[in-house]
Amino acid sequence: MTTPRLVVLCVEDEPDVRDAIVRDLAPFEPAVVTETAESADDAREAIAEITEGRDRLGLVLADHLLPGTTGVDFLVELHEGEATARAKKVLLTGQAGLDDTVKAVNRADLDRYVAKPWDPEELRAVVRDQLTEFACEHVDDVLPYLTVLDSARLLEVHGTRAADR
Amino acid sequence: MSEEQERTLLQRLGLPLAVVAFLLPIVLQPDGLDAAGHRMFGIFLAAIVLWITEAVPLYATAVLIIFGEILFISEASVMPLPEGFEAPPIDDFYSALANPVLMLFLGGFFLAEGAAKYRLDRNLARVLLRPFGTSPTGIMLGLMLITAALSMFMSNTATAATMTAVVLSVTATLPPGDRLRTSLALSIPIAANVGGIATPVGTPPNAIALAGLTERGISISFLEWMLATLPFVILILVAAWWLLGRLHRSETKELKLEMEGEFDMSRPAILFYGVFALTIALWLTEPLHGVPATVVGFLPVVVLLSTQVFGVTELQNVRWDVLWLVGGGIALATGMAAAGVDEWLVALVAWENLPVALLLVVLAVISLALSTTISNSATANLLVPIGLTLAMSDAVAVDPLLAGIIIAVGCSLAMALPISTPPNAIAYATGAVRTKDLAVVGLLVGAIGLVLFLAVAPLWWNLLGIAGM
Repeated sequence: MTTPRLVVLCVEDEPDVRDAIVRDLAPFEPAVVTETAESADDAREAIAEITEGRDRLGLVLADHLLPGTTGVDFLVELHEGEATARAKKVLLTGQAGLDDTVKAVNRADLDRYVAKPWDPEELRAVVRDQLTEFACEHVDDVLPYLTVLDSARLLEVHGTRAADR
Repeated sequence: MSEEQERTLLQRLGLPLAVVAFLLPIVLQPDGLDAAGHRMFGIFLAAIVLWITEAVPLYATAVLIIFGEILFISEASVMPLPEGFEAPPIDDFYSALANPVLMLFLGGFFLAEGAAKYRLDRNLARVLLRPFGTSPTGIMLGLMLITAALSMFMSNTATAATMTAVVLSVTATLPPGDRLRTSLALSIPIAANVGGIATPVGTPPNAIALAGLTERGISISFLEWMLATLPFVILILVAAWWLLGRLHRSETKELKLEMEGEFDMSRPAILFYGVFALTIALWLTEPLHGVPATVVGFLPVVVLLSTQVFGVTELQNVRWDVLWLVGGGIALATGMAAAGVDEWLVALVAWENLPVALLLVVLAVISLALSTTISNSATANLLVPIGLTLAMSDAVAVDPLLAGIIIAVGCSLAMALPISTPPNAIAYATGAVRTKDLAVVGLLVGAIGLVLFLAVAPLWWNLLGIAGM
C-alpha cells in the first residue's frame, strides 16, 4: 500500500524561479513532493489531478504576478473552493502591494508571506511549519512525514490519535 | 476527518470470506454441536476472518459479534433455537461493553488522558532521566525504564510517541549514520511493548485475559499481576538494553539532554496529580483495603468528572474503539461458552497426549506468531476463550491463570515487524530503524521473553502461590 504524499504546489511563471524553488524544496522528498504550474489555469489542472489521486494538496506557494490573474485572486479562489480550502496558502513574491496583501490575509486566509528574494533555509522553515500544521489538522496518519516535517509536533498529535491495538 | 484508504486485496476479500466462514458450519452442521452451536461457531469463524483481514475495523468486528450473538443465539434470536438450548438473555451480550474490566481500563484511560493534558508524562520523563547521566548507555537504560514504567499505566502507543520525541531531540546532533540513533529509536518500542505486560491496565490483551479469567471465577489482583510479571519485564528490559548496545556500535561517548519544561502547577493539574497517585496507590494496596481494582478504576472517572477537571472533551477522547474491541472479545467468549463451542473445539484435539509444558509453549508461540502480523487485542480475543477452556478441561492439568497470562504476554512480545505494534510503527517512521534492525532485535527480545516467561516465571508464580504447574 503506497503512502499518500503531501504536495506543495508552486505557481510561478518564471522558469528559473520555479526551478530554484523545486531545488530548495528537494530535501522534503519523497514524502513531500513539489509540483509546479506556470499559470492559474495550469494550477487548476494540477489540482484536479492531485484531488483525483491519493496525494493530498498541503500547500500552495503562489507568486503574485501571474499571466492573466494575480496570485492573490487565485488564492482567494482556492480558499473558496471545497477541495482546496484546507490547503495552506503562502505568497512568495516581491510585488504584492498593501491592498493585495490585506485581501490575501482577509479573503484567502493567507498563512505566510515570503518576500523575494528568499533565503532557502527560511523558505524550508515556512514550508515545514505549514505542512506540519496541515498534517496535524487534516491527515489521519502522520507517521510517514516524521522524517521531513516537525517530528515533535507530529508525534504529539499521533500520541493522542493512535492507540494500542 | 476522513481519508480515502487504499484497500488491500486481503481487505476486499475479507467480507465475502467472512460470510462464507459464517455459513460454513451452518450448512455443514458438524457433529457434536446443536443449531445454536453451529451459528456460534460460524460467528467465531467470521470473527477470525474479519480480525485477520481487517475488512472492517477491529471495533466493527466486535459489535458485529455482539449483534450476531443477539440475532442468532440469544433469547431475542430471529431464528428458532434448538429445543433444550438455554438461550442467554440479550443482557449477557450487551453487558460485555460494560464489563468491570472495561471500567478498570476506562480508569486507565482517564489517567493517561490527564497525564497527556497536563504533560505529566513528559515532565516525569524529563526529571527521571536526569540521574542516568550523559553516556549513551546510561541514557538508553533510563529511556527504556521510564518508557516501560509509563506504558504500564498509559497506552504503549502514546508512551512510545512521547518518548520517541525525546529520542529524536537527543539524537538530532549526532553525525549522520551513527548507529546510536538506531538503538535509541529501537529501545522505545521495545520498552513500551514489554512495559505494557506489567499491569492489568498496561495493554488491551491483559484486560482480555483478566476478563476471561474473572468470567471463569478465577481472580488475580492488580498487585498479584504486577508481582507475577514485573520481575520478568525488568529482566527482559535489561537483556534488550544489553543487546541493543552490542548490536549497534557507536563512537559517541556523550549525549546532550536538553529537555525544557515545568510541572503544571494549576489547581486542576494538582488535583489530577492527587487522583493519579491515589488511584495507583489503591491499585497496589488491594490486600490492605480489599477494594477490587475494577472498583478503584472508576475512582478517577468519578472524581475527575465531578470536580470538572475533565469535561465533555476528555470524555469524548476516551478510546471507545479500544474498549469495545475488548468488549467484543468478552462477548465472543460468553457466546462460545453459552453454545458450547469452546468445549467442542477443545475436544477436537487429543490433548491428553501432550505434556503440560508443551501445551503452554504452543499457546505462547501461537499468540506471539499471530499477533506479530495481526492486532494484539484481536489475537487475545480469539485465543483467550479457547486457551482458558482448554486449561480448565479435564483432559489437561494446566492452571488457567498460567494460560491466561501466557497468552497476554505472548501478544505483547510480538514485535518483529513494523506493523506488529503501533510503537514499532513509530520507531520505523523515524527513518533510523530498518525493517531488518527491528526483525533482529524484535525476534531476539521476543524469544528471550518467551523463555523467561515459560521456563522461569511459573517457578516464581508457584513460589508466590499465584499459580502452579
